[in-house]
Amino acid sequence: MFSTGFKYFLGVTVVSIAALIMSLFVLDQLAIAGVAISMLITVTALLAGIATATHDGQTTTSTPDSSGELATQSIWPLVSGVGVVLLALGLVTSSIVFFAGLIVLLGALVEWMVQSWSERASKDTNYNALARKRLLNPIEFPILAALGLGVVIYSFSRIMLTVNKTTGASLFIIFGALVLVGGVLFAIKPNMKRSIGVAICVLGALGIVAGGVASAVSGEREELVEAAAEGHFTHAECGPEASKYFDKLAEGTLSLRSSVSAIVVYQDGELIANIQGLVKPQKTLTIGRSIPTNIVFRNATEGEFRLVAHLGDKVADESTDGETHKNETCTQLVAPGAEQSLTLKISKPSSAKNAYYLYIAGAEDKKIELVVP
Amino acid sequence: MSRRQFDNWLRATIASVRVVLRKVFKPLVVVAGVSVVVAGCATNAPQDTWQPKGPNSKLIDDLQQPVFAVAGIIGLIVAVAVIYTMIKYRDRGQPIPEQIHGKPALEITLTVIPALILAVVSVFTFGAIFKLAKTDDTQMIINVTGQQWWWEYDYPAQNEFGITQPIITSGQLVMPVGTKVLLRETSRDVIHSYWIPALNGKRDAVPGRVHTLRLEADKPGIYAGQCTEFCGLSHANMRMEAVALSKEDFAKWVANQQAPYVAPAKETLAQQGEEVFLNQCVRCHQVNGLMRADGTPAIAAPDENVWSGAAPNLSHLMSRNTFAGAMFDLLSKQCRDEVWNAPSEVVGAKYLAGVTEECLNQKDLRAWLRNAPEVKPMYANPADLAVSNGKYRGMPYLALSEDDITKLVAYLITLK
Ligand code: HEC
Ligand SMILES: [Cu+2]
Repeated sequence: MFSTGFKYFLGVTVVSIAALIMSLFVLDQLAIAGVAISMLITVTALLAGIATATHDGQTTTSTPDSSGELATQSIWPLVSGVGVVLLALGLVTSSIVFFAGLIVLLGALVEWMVQSWSERASKDTNYNALARKRLLNPIEFPILAALGLGVVIYSFSRIMLTVNKTTGASLFIIFGALVLVGGVLFAIKPNMKRSIGVAICVLGALGIVAGGVASAVSGEREELVEAAAEGHFTHAECGPEASKYFDKLAEGTLSLRSSVSAIVVYQDGELIANIQGLVKPQKTLTIGRSIPTNIVFRNATEGEFRLVAHLGDKVADESTDGETHKNETCTQLVAPGAEQSLTLKISKPSSAKNAYYLYIAGAEDKKIELVVP
Repeated sequence: MSRRQFDNWLRATIASVRVVLRKVFKPLVVVAGVSVVVAGCATNAPQDTWQPKGPNSKLIDDLQQPVFAVAGIIGLIVAVAVIYTMIKYRDRGQPIPEQIHGKPALEITLTVIPALILAVVSVFTFGAIFKLAKTDDTQMIINVTGQQWWWEYDYPAQNEFGITQPIITSGQLVMPVGTKVLLRETSRDVIHSYWIPALNGKRDAVPGRVHTLRLEADKPGIYAGQCTEFCGLSHANMRMEAVALSKEDFAKWVANQQAPYVAPAKETLAQQGEEVFLNQCVRCHQVNGLMRADGTPAIAAPDENVWSGAAPNLSHLMSRNTFAGAMFDLLSKQCRDEVWNAPSEVVGAKYLAGVTEECLNQKDLRAWLRNAPEVKPMYANPADLAVSNGKYRGMPYLALSEDDITKLVAYLITLK
């Protein structure tokens, strides 16, 4: 009659249908979750069908040989149960939990199926275990390794965010040295006991994870917390710098520098533009309308400065709360001797009344006129 | 079909094909060869790369002529050797000659000789490349911006040339002769490439980058070119000209470009045209100095209507003699020939005359205003604009009445 497998899959199908109906009411946006659950329903219904049709994969109709060993204890029913719970929980909480449940459930189902299949493969338990390993180890090992590595790497990153910069550098040096020493040891003593190597690695990993947990608990280092609180990662304001923390060498735009429209240099208390093709430094820069134009700002002074592009005033209307605002964009603070690029795209022409210019924040008289014809 | 039958059939087929080839092929080759050679003698070939008209293109020419000669001689030697061997040693049933395996001395010689030739060529090539990349001897700068499917030129203020306020034009690049002009090229949408064969090689115009290209013309004249980087539907219609004027003529051109706007006289057709222009055209096209009825300046907003964010500035439309990416003439055929075929002493004066009422090519201009996408392929179907946020690539169909078109033409002709 109804096989065990059939009953199980039928159960899951029914539960997922219930979940789908529930999610119809709970979620505003059903799109992804809906598709996922519908697929789950399809898959489990199919599996239920296959399970009855094949009598749970039993090839002979004879009752199992009672002298054969009993099926081993399996944790997979439990794990798949957890998966289903996570799935349901995910529907009402967050999609991450939902997808975690989905992954756990599918993984458990695969493991379970292969296990129960392998237990009936022959009467020899050892052979059966081997068959299971053959099939699943190539999948299990990489996944487990990736998970393990992920945990270690994440823990390490927590540590690095907590310790101060110099300790961070020293830690890197120590870790590197340890890896080197370990490698040398393995190289000169190739037939060292395997268990010793494993023990070292496991201990090292555990140490890092423990350090990671401790760091996560104690929180990120002061300056990062402060920087995030000041919101200076977003750089909404172009005025004089209020914060003392900034990316001092934000020159990560090397490719821009090979053919920029102009290099604007702040030097000896003067702001000048070096325009490709013009030998003499300029005080005016002409850029076309609606053309993305790259400008590099080079700070050749001893102080820290940022370049601001003043692109007219925003007229008073609802979007500006009835006030006129300056329409400005700027670079980050640039350290002495460093450079940064600024991309402008201006769609309205400049005029005497609506003049555009580049200037140094905090030294408004250091200007370069921007002409947009 | 048995194997034997098939072999017989194949043999018969090959034999008949041979007969046909012998009869047809030889004359065909002769005709093709002759026409290729004859085509090389075309006199009306404005984009001929072998006729340099300025120092930069001459530099390229001085390099390519000898290299071409050397390559031609080598090619000839190889071809003759191959053909000689093919005929002399063709299969006549003679026994296969002794098979040898290489002759190191010969092989090394035959590797070293081309290597040497290439080394010599590369020395001169690098020299030319560096000379063509020079920018520190520039006398005049012109910003060149490509967009689908026309070129815009803007001249930053340069007092030495009387350019006191920026000049914007399109299609025809006007420059003084004997002046080291540096183009600073970029693009507003996709990659284009600027090429005036008579004056220099090609240079890509890439969005977000500025590439320079030297131009210098020895004599006044109109030098044709075209975009040479595939850039979409109307790439083939994205043409341009460089117009070289004597220094005096160039100064006159500059003065005219900077002349203030002259509104059409009251109660004329042109004035009605200005009204239509304000209603229909000014959302894309800028005419410097044009005022709205309420006395505010009419500022075009091509960024809201056109994908590239630009449309040609029409302030002095009639000072150029082609339009729409130099695809159409603004001058009637006869007037055009008079300017374009003029000897270089007078070409400047003729060019500066601009487009007069008698010379205007009414037909093409009217067709353009009637339905631009019909005469120049552009992505301007309102139904297909979802991918470009409702913005046109090119000029759309505006459903103007013939009446409005007449008024517009009367107005445009005043934009000298
Ligand atoms: C939606 C924007 C738009 C509107 C509206 C528009 N145009 Fe255009 N127009 C363009 C674009 C883009 C081009 C360039 C097309 C090309 O050459 O590929 C152009 C080209 C032209 C040209 C050729 C200019 C040159 O220098 O090559 C003329 C003349 C012209 N338009 C006249 C008009 C007139 C007159 C109107 C009003 C009836 C008008 N246009 C309305 C976008 C527009
Ligand atoms: Cu193009």
